[in-house]
Amino acid sequence: MSDFSGMEDLLQDFLQEASDLLSDVDNKLVDLEKDPGDRRLLNDIFRGFHTIKGGAGFLNAAELVTLCHLTENLFDKLRNAEMQLTPELMDTIMAATQGVRAMFGELSQAVQPRPAPSEVIHALRVALHEQEPEATAAQAAAPEAPKSDDPVMTPSAQSADRGSAGGPDWQALHAAVTGQESVASPVSPAKSSVALEPAGSKAVATEAELTPHFPPEGRRATDKPGFVGTGATTGRRNEEKIATRESTIRVDTARLDQVLNLSGEIGLTKNRLTSLRADILAGRNDSETLHALDQAVSQLDLLVSDLQNSVMKTRMQPIGRLFQKYPRIARDLARQLGKDVELALVGEETEVDKTMIEDLADPLVHLVRNAVDHGVESPEERLAAGKPAKSVVRLEARQEGDHIVLIIADDGRGMSPERIRNKAIEKGLIREEEANTLDDRQSLNLIFLPGFSTMTQASAVSGRGVGMDVVKTNIQKLNGSVEIRSEPGKGSVFIISLPLTLAILPVLLVLLGDQPFALPLSMVREILPIEKEKMQEVGGKETLVVRGEVLPVVALSRLLGWPQLQTPEYGVLMQTSERSFILSVDSFAGRDDAVIKSLDDFRPRGVAGVTTLSNGQIVLILDMKELLADLNAHVDRDAIAKQHPKAIELSA
Amino acid sequence: MADPKMRILVVDDFSTMRRIVRNLLKELGFANVDEAEDGAIALQKLQAGGFEFVVTDWNMPNMDGLQLLQAIRSTPSLAQLPVLMITAEAKKENIIAAAQAGASGYIVKPFTAATLAEKLQKIFDKMGV
Repeated sequence: MSDFSGMEDLLQDFLQEASDLLSDVDNKLVDLEKDPGDRRLLNDIFRGFHTIKGGAGFLNAAELVTLCHLTENLFDKLRNAEMQLTPELMDTIMAATQGVRAMFGELSQAVQPRPAPSEVIHALRVALHEQEPEATAAQAAAPEAPKSDDPVMTPSAQSADRGSAGGPDWQALHAAVTGQESVASPVSPAKSSVALEPAGSKAVATEAELTPHFPPEGRRATDKPGFVGTGATTGRRNEEKIATRESTIRVDTARLDQVLNLSGEIGLTKNRLTSLRADILAGRNDSETLHALDQAVSQLDLLVSDLQNSVMKTRMQPIGRLFQKYPRIARDLARQLGKDVELALVGEETEVDKTMIEDLADPLVHLVRNAVDHGVESPEERLAAGKPAKSVVRLEARQEGDHIVLIIADDGRGMSPERIRNKAIEKGLIREEEANTLDDRQSLNLIFLPGFSTMTQASAVSGRGVGMDVVKTNIQKLNGSVEIRSEPGKGSVFIISLPLTLAILPVLLVLLGDQPFALPLSMVREILPIEKEKMQEVGGKETLVVRGEVLPVVALSRLLGWPQLQTPEYGVLMQTSERSFILSVDSFAGRDDAVIKSLDDFRPRGVAGVTTLSNGQIVLILDMKELLADLNAHVDRDAIAKQHPKAIELSA
Repeated sequence: MADPKMRILVVDDFSTMRRIVRNLLKELGFANVDEAEDGAIALQKLQAGGFEFVVTDWNMPNMDGLQLLQAIRSTPSLAQLPVLMITAEAKKENIIAAAQAGASGYIVKPFTAATLAEKLQKIFDKMGV
C-alpha cells in the first residue's frame, strides 16, 4: 500500500533530488571534519537540510521534517559560531544524516518514515540544549514563550508597517509562525511541529548561552561506542540500498535539444531522399540528380552518427554522482576500525553510461571497504613502518580512448603473492603444484576465486558474504576487466577497465581469407605492412621492430585456431592496458561502427558479440583479451613460463 | 482573482519545490509560469522584463531570496513588482527581515493551494487588482 497515492511523481522527483543533495551533504561533512570552521561548508550543509525539510513537508513526512529540522538548527548555530564542532557532535550529525538516508529508503518503498532512532533525536536535542519534548512542553515553552513573545512582537509589527508600503498581512503571518493557524492546514501534524519548535528553541537557547556548551549527558549520549556502531550498521544497510535501479534519468536539456534538432534534420534529409527517389524512378539519372543523391546520403550518414552519439550522451552521467557516496563510507569504516583514512576522489566529471554507474555501485563499495579494512594498516603499524599515520585511498576515474578506467589505490600494507598462494592452497582452491607455476600477477588474481578471503578471520566489516569473486563477475558482466597491482609495504591498486558504452563499438574489419572479423578499434594503434625480411626471431617467437620497440607478431589464424592458408600481409599494432603486439592478418575491409548484438546464451570464448555489415553479412566481434588469455594459458601449460616470464607476457 | 495569464517567476534551487509551487499555481489557474534556480538567474530574467509576479524561496546559493528581494526593490523598473517569499524558515527575525526588505507576503512551507490562494488574494487586494 502506498502512503503517497496521487503523489508518486512528486515523491520520485523528491527522492532523486534529495538523495543527490544528501550525498553532497555527506561529502561536505567529510570535508568539514578536516576544516570545522569553514563557513561556506556550514552554510551549504545547513541549506541542504533546510531544502530537504521543505520538500518533506509537502510529502507530509513529519518524522523526516523533525529530523532535518533539528539538524538544520544545529548547523544554524554552528554557522553563527554559537557552538563549536566537536568529534562527538560530528558523530551525532553523521548519525542524523544516516537517519535521513534511512527515511529516504522507507519513502522509496512508498511508506511514511518511522521516527528516527530515539538516541539520535535525543543526542540532537541535547546538543541543541533542548530538553526532551515531554519536559519542554510543560516547563520551557509554556511559561517562557509568551513572556518573550510580547516585547519582541511589538517592534516587529511596527517595523513591518514601516518597512513595506504594500502593507502585507503581518497579523496572519505571525499567526502562521506561531502555529495558531495550523488547524486550517491539512498537513497540520508536520506543520505544527515545525512551527512550534523555533519558539521553544529560541527560549531555551538564550538560557543555554549562560551554561557550558556540553552538558555531561551530551557527552555520554554520543560517546558510547555502541551508539556509533549502531549508526554505522544502519548506514551500511542503506548504502546497499542505493544500488536499487532508478527508472528515470536526468538529462541536460541542451543534450535533449540536440537530439531533437538532429532528428529534425534527419527528417528533412529523408524528405530530400524521397523526392530524389521519385525523380530517379521517373527516369532522371543525369549527373546532377546523382550528385544530389550522393550528397543527401552522405549527409544522412553524418546525421545518423551524430544522432547515435547524442542519444548515447543522454545516458551518460558523471561518475561523481556515484563517487560522492564513498568518502562517507570510507570515513565511517575507518573510524570504526580506529584508522585514519582519507578517500581522495579524482576525475569525478568523467562520464559513464547510466546502467554502468548503477552496476558499479556495489563492486566499488566492496573495493573501497576492502582497501580501508584490509589494505590500510593501523596508525601505529604505519608509523612503525615509517609512513604517515594518515592513509590516502585514491578513487579515480578517467577516460582512455573509448574505455573508462577506474582505479582504487591504497598506500597500505600491500599483498604478498606468497601468502595468497598459501592461503589458496590451504582453502583447497588450487593444488600445490598448480600454485608453483603461478607468477606474482597470477597469484594476486587468486583473490578473485570464490571462497577466498585473505584475513584468517573475516572481520565484522567484511563478513557480508560478498567476496571479490562477485566484484569480478559484476565487472565482467559489463564487458570490463579488473587487474591488481600490489607491492608489499607500499600498497595495492585495483584497476577496472570498462567500455564507454555497451551499445556501439567502433571496429576495424580485418580479413582472414574472405572472412571478415571485427576488432575493437580502441585497441588498434596503427596498421603496418609485414615484410618477411624484417621479421626477427627472438626466443623462438616472431617479432618485428617498430620504431625501436620489439613487438611480438601473433597470427590471427593462430589465435582462432584456423589453418594458415596464405602469408599474412598486414600487421595491426594492438595495444591493451599492459602490452602491445602485432596481429597479422591477410587484409582489411575497413572500419565500421558496430551495433553490438549479444549472443545471449551461446557465447563462444573469444567472441564479444556479432554485428551486421551494410551488405547484410554477419561478422563476429573478437574479444582480444579472452583470445590472448587463452593463448597465454596455452603457453603457460607448455611451462616455458618459468624460463622466460617476460617473453610470455609479450608473446600474448 | 487576478488575470490568470499573469506571468509568474518561481525561484527555488530545489527543482522538486519549483514543481510543487508550479502545480499549486496551476491549480489556482495560473499557467504562465517560468522558473529560475537562484536569485542571480531570477534577477537576470526579471530584468529582461515581462514578469508580473515573483514567488521566491529564501535559502539559495549564489543569491538568496532576501538579496533578490532587495535587488528588486532597488531596481526602479522592478521596484513595484509583488514578491511572495516562500520558505521553511518560521523564525520571527526572518519574517521581520523579509518585511523590512519589502516582501509582499510570506508563506511557511509546507502549505496548500488554499493557503497560497489566500496569500495571493491578499496581495492582489493590496495592489488593487
